[in-house]
Amino acid sequence: MYSRIIRNDISKSKLITLTTMIFVAAAAMLVSLAVILVVNLSGAIDTLMKRAETPHFMQMHSGEINTDRLTAFAEQHGNVDEFQVLEFVNMDGARIILGDNSLTHNVQDNGFSMQSDKFDYLLDLDGNVIHVSDGELYVPIHYMRDNTTKVGDKARISGKEFTVAGFLRDSQMNSTLSSSKRFLVSSHDYAVIQNLGTTEYLIEFRLKDLSALGAFETDYASAGLEANGPVITYPLFKTINAISDGMMIGVILLVSVLVVAIALMCIRFTLLAKIEDDYRQIGVMKAMGMRISDMKRMYLAKYAVIAAAGSILGFALSLVFKGMLLENIRLYMGESEHSSSALLYGIIGILLVFLAMMAYINGVLRRFRKISAAEAIRFGNSQGHTAAGAKHLRLSRNRLLNTNVVLGIQDVLARKRLYATMLTVLVISAFIMIVPHNLYSTISSKGFIQYMGIGNYDMRMDIQQTDNISEKAAEVLKKMTSDSAISQYAVLATKSFKVKTLDGTEENIKIELGDHSIFPIAYSQGKAPAAEDEIALSSLNADELGIGVGETMTVVVEGKEEILTVSGIYSDITNGGKTAKAVFPDQSADTMWYVICAELSDPSLINSMVSEYASKFNYAKVSDIDKYIAQTFGSTIRAVHKASYAAILVAIMITVLVTLLFMKMLVAKDRYSIGVMKVLGFTSSDIRAQYVTRSVFVLILGMVLGILLANTLGEMLAGVVISMFGASTFHFAVNPLSAYLLSPLMMIGSVLIATIIGTSGMGHIKISENIKG
Amino acid sequence: MKKVMIGDHIVKSFGEGDEKHHVLDGVSAYINEGEFVAVMGPSGSGKSTLLFALSGTDVVDDGKVVFDGRDLTTASENELADIRRTQMGFVFQQPTMLNNLNILDNIILPSLRDNRKNVANITAKARTLMKRVGIAELEKRDITQVSGGQLQRAGICRALMNNPRIIFGDEPTGALNSTSAQEMMDLFSEINAEGTAVMLVTHDANVAARTERIMFMRDGSIVSELQLPKYDGTDMEGRIEHVTVKMREIGI
Repeated sequence: MYSRIIRNDISKSKLITLTTMIFVAAAAMLVSLAVILVVNLSGAIDTLMKRAETPHFMQMHSGEINTDRLTAFAEQHGNVDEFQVLEFVNMDGARIILGDNSLTHNVQDNGFSMQSDKFDYLLDLDGNVIHVSDGELYVPIHYMRDNTTKVGDKARISGKEFTVAGFLRDSQMNSTLSSSKRFLVSSHDYAVIQNLGTTEYLIEFRLKDLSALGAFETDYASAGLEANGPVITYPLFKTINAISDGMMIGVILLVSVLVVAIALMCIRFTLLAKIEDDYRQIGVMKAMGMRISDMKRMYLAKYAVIAAAGSILGFALSLVFKGMLLENIRLYMGESEHSSSALLYGIIGILLVFLAMMAYINGVLRRFRKISAAEAIRFGNSQGHTAAGAKHLRLSRNRLLNTNVVLGIQDVLARKRLYATMLTVLVISAFIMIVPHNLYSTISSKGFIQYMGIGNYDMRMDIQQTDNISEKAAEVLKKMTSDSAISQYAVLATKSFKVKTLDGTEENIKIELGDHSIFPIAYSQGKAPAAEDEIALSSLNADELGIGVGETMTVVVEGKEEILTVSGIYSDITNGGKTAKAVFPDQSADTMWYVICAELSDPSLINSMVSEYASKFNYAKVSDIDKYIAQTFGSTIRAVHKASYAAILVAIMITVLVTLLFMKMLVAKDRYSIGVMKVLGFTSSDIRAQYVTRSVFVLILGMVLGILLANTLGEMLAGVVISMFGASTFHFAVNPLSAYLLSPLMMIGSVLIATIIGTSGMGHIKISENIKG
Repeated sequence: MKKVMIGDHIVKSFGEGDEKHHVLDGVSAYINEGEFVAVMGPSGSGKSTLLFALSGTDVVDDGKVVFDGRDLTTASENELADIRRTQMGFVFQQPTMLNNLNILDNIILPSLRDNRKNVANITAKARTLMKRVGIAELEKRDITQVSGGQLQRAGICRALMNNPRIIFGDEPTGALNSTSAQEMMDLFSEINAEGTAVMLVTHDANVAARTERIMFMRDGSIVSELQLPKYDGTDMEGRIEHVTVKMREIGI
């Protein structure tokens, strides 16, 4: 009997059934994809890091190195399993030519190394340790992805010729987020090119007990060993490997939550309308003594069929799309060991969605209990008193508004529960539309840069990884002082210092020394350091050290412990977000790098100035700050821009589809009142005006709520994303024209069109069929 | 006497092909200005369909429907709506009221469409009508809070709001007890006495006996007519006898 009821029901409401199924399928597909991706990603990362034997602790270092001292430390330390120092020759991009492409304008730090013989292996695309012959060059997978080169290409490194023999996976530096890339050459070739760049050391340890990594880090820092460069640990390697695909998975999960919500909304209002339709029948069944659980089962059965069909379709679709999304993970990380179990987890994810839907439908069907058999049989629809809000709006007291408008608004107020569903969907749509857009206007606004730890200047010179770095900086300064085209400049030298943390251990911190008042940045708290005993911390550093503005910290300067007061905290996304600024003089520590910032008398001359300084000081990286920003954030800004357009499209689609469905259902449900209106002499356009009023009224409410939510919850969510890059405080820089005029107009337009199309069936409603004598 | 409504060879059928069923099989009928008419017949004879056809609320397959010189079969949807709103009134067996509105708002609804600014006068008129039919104290009630008879009277008030030329009633007393039905018929008689034409569809001889002309229908055709003197409050039993004899004679 069930199957016949279900078939009849579905064939009577094809469009609604289909739409609900599509939403369920989309939700199931996204959940399944997210689960499959998570399982594959974590599996692939584990496999890669296991095969490559990624170091547990790595200290990058440039400058002098005392290997004996390091070996002695490693032998004495009880937790060290293996230890090695790898060399890495950093080479300017201009000296690397792959096939026809030079890496001159490449933002990565490219370097060459030999295959390790202990651990931290570079792997080929089959996951095997590469054995490289003379004349062969293995290129990071990154350059295969962006089509820079292909196997068999000729490569020239500082004039020496190589053949690209293959691509390599590097468990440390695979990710585009990691700014360095390792090329692999034979030890013989390495010896040849070694002197053509600057050597950096990777001091690497594998530990017996990874859980004691924290203690090992402290031991290393307090032993006063080589530390001129960043430290990266095993968990961080894992995070860096996971983050770009992880972000994609995060977005898919977020979208899937929204789609599940919309699928539930769709089910809710089709179900409510169906109950309304079947009101009399339900009353009769109740009167006949049928149990509520039996009646529920009939309705549940239909939705179980729709949800099951949608889930199966969604799972099938996720199998179709999974290859596309897994491509990146497979390319960078290789195959996962758990790829077969991923499907099983995908099915479990879908099952959970299915069960959640059934539970929800069961909840909606609780309304059966409230249906009075007598009332249902007598009136054929739910009666109840007119809702409170509607009572204040009386036709007999209204002089201002058009009668159709009053009737429309009154209907919404009288049937709040029914319209709440549409309202929720519109709030979600407005949210989806506005949040990404506001995020885009914020990060593309001029003020955002200062906010991110970069001052307002025209030209920037980076001097790093070079010998006699201080002399070279002085050389640049000498030229700048006498250059009338430069109106102001500032020199900022970054050095590594030891800091005593609250628990007494020592940590390394990079401090940028110089005059920070020339090109000020925005401080989220406090101000720039002015006195010699002041220091400003990036928010990530402040969080990690657990100190705030006005508190003090101990820094070892020229062998003495100095107490510095924190003058301010700022957001920074450069250098991993962990920076500090101070003005004290220091002669002891080595300078890791210099940044020289300059403001031009005539900013329009920036191009010629950049090329002049670049050719004169070939060891410095000279950039036009606008270009620097475009290179650093450009791809992010473009991605967010694209995402915001996609979000607008999705929001409009959801709005149109749901409004259309909702209106179609309302018209079906309201056949009787439409008949009454018609018999009283209301024209079709009068009645349409009432429906347009209803949807516009709900839309306006939805938009107001959506905008409020976008600026509170949305801002908070966007803030969480931004804080991952090191920004501490975050406020939307809203473009009011697009956020509060264009977006609402687009929504109103789509709701109007959907309402007009959705109510077009109204013209066919015959009075004689709906009003019985 | 001037004919306010003329139906000329009206054909209306439902279904398709072999299952096609002529509900009105070339029916011609008329209503004079200010006349009180009833249509009687067994279930399925086409009474209600004739009412919907004459009032322009349903499209006919063939034939002509002329109201006050205007051919309704060629009129647009909007013209028909205008005519219904300004010149016709309707009362059905089940009260056709909107759930969200209270009694007063339901009554004034059709008048507000063209005359919103005049809401004070419209409301005053509605109150006068409600007083006249005896439901003055119910204006603020929801439609679920009053009895079926009271709702029907509110329906008559609504039908009268725009001073219609004709009122159509489809079994208006069908759902009422005999006292309420009696009161309803008194109201119809009063309205008719003031010059408004009334056309009632009924299968109740007591109702039909109040009118001055009865059209009898069977199988989609008018098979007979009975002319009665205008009702003056007397000899109701004689009139009913007349009607029942006629019904027996033609086998209804």
